[in-house]
Amino acid sequence: MSLDTDFMVKVAYTAIHGVPVTLKIVLVALLISLPIGVLFALIRIYRIKVLEQFVKFYVSLIRGTPIIAQILIVYSAFPSLLNTIIGKAAFDINPIYYAYIVFTLNSIATLTEVFRSALQTVDKGQMEAGLMVGMKPRQTFWRIIFPQALISALPNIANATLYLIKNSSLAFIMSVKDITAIAKTEAAFNYNFLEAYLVVWVYYLIICYCAEVIFYLLERYFSKYRRPTKKTTGFNWLPFSIKQPEIEAKTDLTESERTNHAQN
Amino acid sequence: MLKIEGLKKSYAGNDILKGISINVNKGDVISIIGPSGSGKTTLLRTITTLEEANGGHISFAGVDNDFQKLNGKDIHTIRRNIGFVFQNYNLFNNKTALQNITEGLIVARKVKKSEAEKIALKALERVGLTDRQNHYPSQLSGGQQQRVGIARAIALNPQVIFFDEPTSALDPELVGEVLKVMQDLANSGTTMVVVTHQMNFARDVSNRVIFMADGYIVEQGSPKKIFENPSEERTKTFLTDILANV
Ligand SMILES: Nc1ncnc2c1ncn2[C@@H]1O[C@H](COP(=O)(O)OP(=O)(O)OP(=O)(O)O)[C@@H](O)[C@H]1O
Ligand SMILES: [Mg+2]
Repeated sequence: MSLDTDFMVKVAYTAIHGVPVTLKIVLVALLISLPIGVLFALIRIYRIKVLEQFVKFYVSLIRGTPIIAQILIVYSAFPSLLNTIIGKAAFDINPIYYAYIVFTLNSIATLTEVFRSALQTVDKGQMEAGLMVGMKPRQTFWRIIFPQALISALPNIANATLYLIKNSSLAFIMSVKDITAIAKTEAAFNYNFLEAYLVVWVYYLIICYCAEVIFYLLERYFSKYRRPTKKTTGFNWLPFSIKQPEIEAKTDLTESERTNHAQN
Repeated sequence: MLKIEGLKKSYAGNDILKGISINVNKGDVISIIGPSGSGKTTLLRTITTLEEANGGHISFAGVDNDFQKLNGKDIHTIRRNIGFVFQNYNLFNNKTALQNITEGLIVARKVKKSEAEKIALKALERVGLTDRQNHYPSQLSGGQQQRVGIARAIALNPQVIFFDEPTSALDPELVGEVLKVMQDLANSGTTMVVVTHQMNFARDVSNRVIFMADGYIVEQGSPKKIFENPSEERTKTFLTDILANV
């Protein structure tokens, strides 16, 4: 078996037009679901009546069904629903909006759980300390609790984003012209599916890798208040190298201070 | 200055504080001692309304009300006039030593940033940590963290500072530096209420010792009286036990 490399180059050129589409789906879904995820997490943590039940139900509904089923339902329900409201114009809507809806709804559920557990990792003494220096609960939440929760949530947000990127490839079902859809169409002419899929594969690999780097940098920047430990095995910059990046260790503490801290 | 009468607190039907009355005068350094589980922490936390009381009266800083009738404004006034030093420091983890102190000044007291930093530096100087102002809590030893905790409390210039076992989370060799800072505070006339297992501190620094057991104040008096001539059998037993273990 030999690969048609010319064809692969050609697919690579056409499929690149799908990259912005994929990125748009991911960014829109993330930007909308992040704040809503925080809100839903707060509703659950503070056990706000009625709303809490709703959030619980919503999260288990989304988490308990395959994303493909969610896509099919939204894609078959929304157009006809809209049709009854705004008439035929409903069928002219760019299908990317349906992708926005599905992937946002999906990420909200994931991020609600991510923020819920992250907020619970912040010691409740932080809130009490805030109250005892005269700050209001709301002020303490936004200035002290939330920034800490956000940082401990970052690895899981990164995870959720990677899933989102990969899941977005299912948007082709809704005839969204993303990377996958374009490559599939190209391949269908000559049945060069393997070549087309390899190109798709590389594109997603690159996008996911970039996302990982971005999250790694965010995490490193925002966790400056955490004590850097010696030789942290952080994100490995070069996927194929054996060498781990070394992060500078703080060394101006005496040994007894170190051990003391470790015990606290 | 701070007057508590008949303070009661129960958790799920368990009475923890069974009617506590305390009078704190300006300049007092009061040590509260007593066996584990006697309600010392709960006492400090209910007075500061971190826990809701089930009964009792408070007069302090212009508030004169039953605990159960306190409104938001009363609660704010009470907390604003009491400094709190926590057993496990509770420094804001995402803030430097300096920011830990300026945070309350800027956000709650609306002090200008430059002014707040001046106050904070002065407070850090009092606890001997000017050189650590830009360190995060995770980069400080336990003793240093607790000293920042104390600096955070004094910078707000409260009428009284509560300490809940400020040294009991510390390694023995770090206890001294914190006690030293507290002694300096006491000498400079700061009003303090200190829950402690450090009998030396209770005996040598405070002007009044309160012995608590089972949710009651069993007895109180000058350190001399409590340590040398306690009138209650429970106090005697407690002191004999604890001093034998030192
Ligand atoms: N949030 C809570 N819920 C239920 N019970 C509690 C709670 N907090 C404290 N208690 C109970 O109240 C009692 C008094 O606790 P408290 O922490 O005030 O004791 P303490 O005198 O500070 O003890 P220690 O010297 O060990 O710190 C204990 O029996 C404890 O189990
Ligand atoms: Mg206690």
